[in-house]
Amino acid sequence: MAAAAHETQPATQHATTTGIDNRKVMMWIFLASECLFFGALISTYLIFKGDSLVGPYPKEILNIPVTSTSTFVLLMSSLTMVLAVYGAQHGRLGMMKVMLLATILLGLGFLGFQAYEFTEFVHEGLGLTTNQFGTSFFVLTGFHGTHVAVGVLYLLSLLVASNRRTGLGRDRALHIDIAGLYWHFVDVVWIVIFTIIYLIPN
Amino acid sequence: MSHDAHAESHEEHPPTTIREYVMIGFVLFVVTVVELWVSYNEQILGSTMIPVLFVLSAFKFAVVVAMFMHLRFEHSLLWKLFSFGLILGTAMIIALTALFWHDRTDAVGGPEYHTGSTQAEASAPGGAAPAPAKH
Repeated sequence: MAAAAHETQPATQHATTTGIDNRKVMMWIFLASECLFFGALISTYLIFKGDSLVGPYPKEILNIPVTSTSTFVLLMSSLTMVLAVYGAQHGRLGMMKVMLLATILLGLGFLGFQAYEFTEFVHEGLGLTTNQFGTSFFVLTGFHGTHVAVGVLYLLSLLVASNRRTGLGRDRALHIDIAGLYWHFVDVVWIVIFTIIYLIPN
Repeated sequence: MSHDAHAESHEEHPPTTIREYVMIGFVLFVVTVVELWVSYNEQILGSTMIPVLFVLSAFKFAVVVAMFMHLRFEHSLLWKLFSFGLILGTAMIIALTALFWHDRTDAVGGPEYHTGSTQAEASAPGGAAPAPAKH
């Protein structure tokens, strides 16, 4: 009887006591744990940024106009991501695909800005082991950049899957929604990092 | 109507419209511009600058989480889960920063200690070695 009932349920639907899909709950739990991960890195930066014995020091090297532009790019990627989720939830597949592609390109743009910034810093003498500011800065922003890169690959896989006949299927909106949660979280983490590293005077 | 189409037509989604999403994106952009203005006008705001920057940053954070991540429209369980991690993370930042803020242990042996005057001060009877300035 139970087996027969199970067979009538769609393979991708789960009955949960909360009514929330388990995959979505898992993503929120993961994001909550990420708060602690980035909290540790931000604490490390705040503790060590002023303790460098040799330069370059933050005030001498940080390029606020460039980083402000990359921050704008990441903010706009959040807008395109939420529009992709909107498209998926309302059955507008063309809109979903275009917005996913736009989000991927904006994410790549942000990574390009970060690569440019890191390269400039190295040319100006700030490496991972130059001083405590350099170590804590590269570890914090590097881990954030890694998250963006993972997000780009995640969205790219969804875009490819959405173009296949057997692609995202019935769960399309949920897949895009969960990917959107990850992408927006990467954006809100950057909001905090941008304020702490670049805007607060060093 | 196929089973798939039936399932999708009943899927719940937030009531936010495209126009509202674009407006939210514009508000986030404006707040970022205000943050930059505050950052470049330290002399005008004085000691209130850092609290103002934190408030603006927290506003952007809250808007993205509530409206773009749809937490405002979600089950309260998700809100509680995320808040738990966020509060723990914030508390950890505050606790660790407060704990190590005045620790100058790593600075001993810095450039100032190798200058003649500083060495003289340090070796003078009762002379305290000054800690290197924060940059």
